[in-house]
Amino acid sequence: MNTIFLYNFSGLALFAIGLHGLIRSSHLLRKILAANLMSSGVFLIMIVGAYGTDKGMIDPVPHAMVLTGIVVSVSATAVALALVCLVQETTNRVLLLQKRKKEQGRRTDA
Amino acid sequence: MTSVMSFFDIMLVLALPWLGWRLLASPDLFRAVVLFISLGLLMSLTWVRLHAPDVALAEAAIGAGLTGALFLSALRRLERMQDSERRLDYAEKREEERQAPPARRRRSKPIAYGLALLLLVFFLVLLGWSLVKTSVSPGGLGPAVTGQMGQTGVQSQVTAVLLNFRGYDTLLEVMVLFLAALGSWSLTRIRQPLPEEVAAPVLASLVRLLVPLMIIVAGYLVWIGSSRAGGAFQGGAVLGAAGVLLLLADVTVVRQIPSALLRWALVLGPLLFLLSAIACMWIGGNLLEYPRQSAGAWILLIESATAVSIGVTLAALYAGGRPLEPSALEEAGEVASESGGDEGEGE
Amino acid sequence: MPDTAFWAVCLVVVPLFFAIICFVRSALVSILGPLAAWLNAIAALGMTVSFVHSGPVRYAIGGWQVPLGINFRIDGLSVLLIAMTAVTGLSVSMYASGYFSLRIGPAREQGRHQHQRAYFWPLWLLLWAALHGLFLSADLFNIYVTLEITGLSAVLLTSLSGKAAARLAAMRYLLVSLLGSCSYLFGVALLYRCYGILDMAVLARLVSPAPLMWVSLALLTTGLVLKTALFPLHFWLPPAHANALAPVSAILSGLVVKASLYLILRLWGDVFAQVLPLAAYLLPGALGCGAVLWGAVQALLQKRLKMLIAYSTVAQLGYMFIALPLIRLDHGSSAWEAVIFLIMSHACAKSAMFMAAGSIFLKAGHDRINDLDGIKEVLPVTSFAFVVAGVSLMGFPPSGAFIGKWLLLGVSLASGQWWWGIMLVIGSLLAAGYVYRVACHLLVFKAPFYARRQFIPPVMEWSALLLAVLAMLLGLFAGYPLGLLEAGSPFPGHACLEVMP
Repeated sequence: MNTIFLYNFSGLALFAIGLHGLIRSSHLLRKILAANLMSSGVFLIMIVGAYGTDKGMIDPVPHAMVLTGIVVSVSATAVALALVCLVQETTNRVLLLQKRKKEQGRRTDA
Repeated sequence: MTSVMSFFDIMLVLALPWLGWRLLASPDLFRAVVLFISLGLLMSLTWVRLHAPDVALAEAAIGAGLTGALFLSALRRLERMQDSERRLDYAEKREEERQAPPARRRRSKPIAYGLALLLLVFFLVLLGWSLVKTSVSPGGLGPAVTGQMGQTGVQSQVTAVLLNFRGYDTLLEVMVLFLAALGSWSLTRIRQPLPEEVAAPVLASLVRLLVPLMIIVAGYLVWIGSSRAGGAFQGGAVLGAAGVLLLLADVTVVRQIPSALLRWALVLGPLLFLLSAIACMWIGGNLLEYPRQSAGAWILLIESATAVSIGVTLAALYAGGRPLEPSALEEAGEVASESGGDEGEGE
Repeated sequence: MPDTAFWAVCLVVVPLFFAIICFVRSALVSILGPLAAWLNAIAALGMTVSFVHSGPVRYAIGGWQVPLGINFRIDGLSVLLIAMTAVTGLSVSMYASGYFSLRIGPAREQGRHQHQRAYFWPLWLLLWAALHGLFLSADLFNIYVTLEITGLSAVLLTSLSGKAAARLAAMRYLLVSLLGSCSYLFGVALLYRCYGILDMAVLARLVSPAPLMWVSLALLTTGLVLKTALFPLHFWLPPAHANALAPVSAILSGLVVKASLYLILRLWGDVFAQVLPLAAYLLPGALGCGAVLWGAVQALLQKRLKMLIAYSTVAQLGYMFIALPLIRLDHGSSAWEAVIFLIMSHACAKSAMFMAAGSIFLKAGHDRINDLDGIKEVLPVTSFAFVVAGVSLMGFPPSGAFIGKWLLLGVSLASGQWWWGIMLVIGSLLAAGYVYRVACHLLVFKAPFYARRQFIPPVMEWSALLLAVLAMLLGLFAGYPLGLLEAGSPFPGHACLEVMP
């Protein structure tokens, strides 16, 4: 089952990439994407832990936890996206940390 | 065969973080969202590989599909706003930019950034090492679940965990969805399509074909959830997708659903779940302790109501906000509130 | 007489039910909201009385025993925190019912107020239900879900005011909350990987030093510390708390930050206490010192009243973290009791301060501290409430904060680590600084005050005053909460009456 164990590192990498993106990205939408990546990484680690060594011995509790996590994640994402649109509307910026606005092309991020 | 599976595993293991990195590094947001959707689909493939079909269904429908749709919709809204403001006060913004100080922030903190990165890497290495060193716990709670399956009234282990053993978690999770719908309604109004956006006729007729099929599929998924992969969330996700399609095709009847009916549809699942939980106490058990004989029927009832609510909630989240109320007073109030005045009106 | 578990279930079910009904029938919200608040308070009272009679209880939801099912664990700490939530929540609800009944400004603002009122109550009731669920639950993953509900509803309540600053602050708060929750979930996942259990009491027996355990504890703590706004991760708190609507600020500072704080106390003081070395506790202690200093200094520099109160929250939370090493050092349990007193009195006092600040804002039209001279002529009750709350926060006897700091000082001196005591004293002096600054403007300086013709309902003023007086008098009734706390305490000094699964 060595190759199954590798998925742990995949999840870890996803978590790390997401964390890095959440902190370093300046565009709010990108931050939300990064947060989703982080949770995907955590889910991966949970499900890999549930994979039993013998056939059929799959632990269903992490599966239920991940299902709950996916639903919670989509709820949080929906609220976050609605809030981003509102922030853009009222403050004219989606670059949370930057004090100035850069001229942006269509659909591009500075 | 196993070497093929190993190869497949390695490809997936490498592809997932690579996709994640590419999507965050991509300067084009639209491309980033599309990569995100494909990452979601790859993840659901991973779930299938890891023998988690329930999770795979939910990830494909909710995690990749609906979340991607939400992102695209938000991206569209943002662009629309940026376009309109660009048309309006281009000269003003140019002036502002010229006077703005240069961006010193990012360049002036390489040491802090380097330290933080080092810390992160160290922590991750520690995590990875500890994962390797941990002896695998024998099945976690799996054996306990298998042992008690006979008393649950369902055959699927995941459904048993979701609605029997840890039903309280699921109740709260349904409340989270309700909270999201409530929240998006509290934040903003439903998106109105622009006059120049007309749904393609092909889409309209396709939707007319697909939506009844999707409703049937959703019902099947809810029904089959008690014995195979499926259940309320998966069925609800398909219903939500049907709702999104209806919104995309701009079927007029959807936008004319009275707000009161919509509210009842949104709360049907949470309310029924809550009332069933209370009813169990009334009958003489603990909270959410179904009577052993009819547990399967209770679970089916709860799942059906929850699936309907989940579908309506997901579609409402995509729609983006509360529907238009008929009262003109609210209209005037909204205009005032969106201008965001804070003339000391008590914050 | 219904038993403790029944009241506990009511505490979760009733606010959830009313939140749903408030959403469906938003016209009835001004009746249903306060009604739900009163029912919550009655249920909390019932649970407290029943707990005093019968002691700690474990309730298996769904009839499934641990480790398969989720349990409610009702012990002294949970009961005290729920009592605190009930009292504070009821006062804030009364305040909010007065606040949202006002017609503020010209007639065209009515729409905004209706909208805010219609959505405040369901969001607040959901938050309240989640807080109850959090304080009662013994299951780590269940706590994750309640944490998410708490965080999301807090963010939505923050953005309810509609101002640009509030929305920006809410966005920042949401991102921090997501990061914190994800970190917490990661910790729970790793713990499950390591021990195969999600229940806290069973975990406390199984836990043993292992690399994965350290990592997961670090993740759990980081996530919770982010949500509690411990220095230096506190950057999101002042804008969020200061720019929210008045009742929302009271809820956020008084109750929401206590949820993650309670979890840190449970984890460090109860579940992992046997495994953690003393040195590990020094880090949160040091950060707590930083919080006390930084928060108090920033509070002294603020020009706006609500920002001052928000920074004061940052400083006061530092005290709770300074108490962590003292809990570890203390072989009795006075540090534990001290923390509870600090938490309870801070909840009451801070909510009272924010409620008073809200009334002041409405009357004056602004909250610039320097321009508030003479407001006591028009808002005597509110000014007095603010000052009483501030004084109780400083640690003036017989307030609950005084009892807490006194006990902590005793532990710090007895164990030989006197520097924590010095920090407590310095913190109190700085708190006195910023409280006196505001009190002078409110009560002492004489200037003609040009008030707006804004009627402030008495319920708004008196609810603030009652809460402030309660915070002040908490120390007088010290024996009663202490007695409650003994039951089910995790400390060997007390008889551990907890019913184990």
